[in-house]
Amino acid sequence: MASFGWKRKAGEKVSKATVQLFQAEAEPEAEAEGARHGAGHEEGDHDVDWVHAIKRRRGVLQEDCAAKSKRLKDEGALLAEEGRQWEAVKRWDEAIQLTPEDAALYEMKAQVLTSLQEVFQAVQAAERAVKLRPPWWEAWQTLGRAQLSLGEVDLAVRSFQVAIHLCPAERPLWEEDLSWAQKLQSQSRAAHEKAREEEEVKQQLLHAPELVPDYDFESNEVVAACTAIAERQKHYDSLRKDAVLIDSSGALVPINHQDSEALPQGQFVKARLADISGI
Amino acid sequence: MTTQYSILFKQEHAHDDAIWTSAWGQNEKDRTETIITGSLDDTVKVWKWSEEKLELQWTLENHQLGVVSVDISHNGALAASSSLDANIRLWDLESGKQIKSMDAGPVDAWTVAFSPDSRYIATGSHLGKVNIFGVETGKKEHSLDTRGKFILSIAYSPDGKYLASGAIDGIINIFDIATGKLLHTLEGHAMPIRSLTFSPDSQLLVTASDDGYIKIYDVQHANLAGTLSGHGSWVLNVAFSPDHTHFVSSSSDKSVKVWDASSRTCVNTFFDHQDQVWSVKYNVDGSKIVSAGDDRAIHIYDCPM
Repeated sequence: MASFGWKRKAGEKVSKATVQLFQAEAEPEAEAEGARHGAGHEEGDHDVDWVHAIKRRRGVLQEDCAAKSKRLKDEGALLAEEGRQWEAVKRWDEAIQLTPEDAALYEMKAQVLTSLQEVFQAVQAAERAVKLRPPWWEAWQTLGRAQLSLGEVDLAVRSFQVAIHLCPAERPLWEEDLSWAQKLQSQSRAAHEKAREEEEVKQQLLHAPELVPDYDFESNEVVAACTAIAERQKHYDSLRKDAVLIDSSGALVPINHQDSEALPQGQFVKARLADISGI
Repeated sequence: MTTQYSILFKQEHAHDDAIWTSAWGQNEKDRTETIITGSLDDTVKVWKWSEEKLELQWTLENHQLGVVSVDISHNGALAASSSLDANIRLWDLESGKQIKSMDAGPVDAWTVAFSPDSRYIATGSHLGKVNIFGVETGKKEHSLDTRGKFILSIAYSPDGKYLASGAIDGIINIFDIATGKLLHTLEGHAMPIRSLTFSPDSQLLVTASDDGYIKIYDVQHANLAGTLSGHGSWVLNVAFSPDHTHFVSSSSDKSVKVWDASSRTCVNTFFDHQDQVWSVKYNVDGSKIVSAGDDRAIHIYDCPM
């Protein structure tokens, strides 16, 4: 009997989560079977209460999933604190399989993915968290931070504002998150303005009015035209020099962000398990 | 005059983002009715309510961040708005021009409320102080100290005697305006109080909290007169009808509920919004209700009189 189990047949292709789910399903089944046998002896095999047995089984199953998910969540939090972030993400992914509606799992995952610079995935996870629990300000903060890492400064400013509107007493939201995002916003606007100006000058350079064919030009006119073009070329180069600098700092936004906050990784990943109040 | 509650008008996509606040006023001189709305899109919009529809009059764009609170003066001529950019701005509703901008300091501008004589604007602050600005001077003139936490909500009593504040930790404070003395501190709710309102006779105070409950207090004795449940989530806003018979509440559960003030029962629930409803107000005679929220829509309802 021991050598002919379904577990061995399941093989390696089936994910761990599915196996756990299946096990979770199988265990209460066995229990229910046992219970039915017990009941059978007392009441007789003819009136087995199938409807209630199934309902009970579903209840037990849900409870089991929640407990298992909670355990995985806590394990993930511990791993994240130890700096084993990928392992933490794996735990939470397993937990999400069991309880896909738990906003806290996505929120924690988003924090860790942001610190791992997996920014796109981080934004996706955080978006899921705020969708599942819109009044939870911490999820909006995490979303804003992930968006900032992705370079989506305007979206980040919006997310931080939503977070503040939900919980204005949270000073770091004002003093760190929102003010920092606004600073980046004005920088990126300045960079855009510069880029636009650069493009304009470049256009002028390429379509220099002085080079329009003119069949009766004199030598002093040619000299004047060349000087004008050289002037503009110089202006263009100087603009480009500046623009490149701003561009590169813009591109390095997420790195700057973390430098300036100077948060140790462990602190950035706060365990937000206990205090989900409200709703 | 209608005999039952019904939705009268919907303005879809009234703003480019969530609407956080609204006010309904009437001009003393020409009796025209104005609704103003403030949004996460940084703008305040001024709408004229006439012939049972809304008409956009002004879009006020001076705020740099989301608009948290708006109010209209009692003569209907001025509007005040506060924003996350820490500025309180005063507007002339007829011309749509900004009259004054008051820098409240970061974190120090939340709910704004005109005093009944419209000479002052009160707003809460993060240190638990209620700051009172002069409309004429544009400067901070008084400060009332609750010695508490961040003040989310403010209300003047219509008789001008009291000022009530609701804090993020659920504590309610009632001040005597003439003396500036703190009269009562009530441990009203265990969670943030996002809105409170006096009855027209200034005898009752109604509070709305994230705990999902609405509470009614007898102002004079500071007694709890009733606790109402019915919303499935945070209660975000409450407003009393001018005829004293009803009050209305809005919630994160996407609903707007009208309550009978004497029996303290819910007499109607509107389920017309697609998302949380941040703001709800009566018009001057209590025949209409306006609501607005995260779905960017403004709804107007008809009330039986």
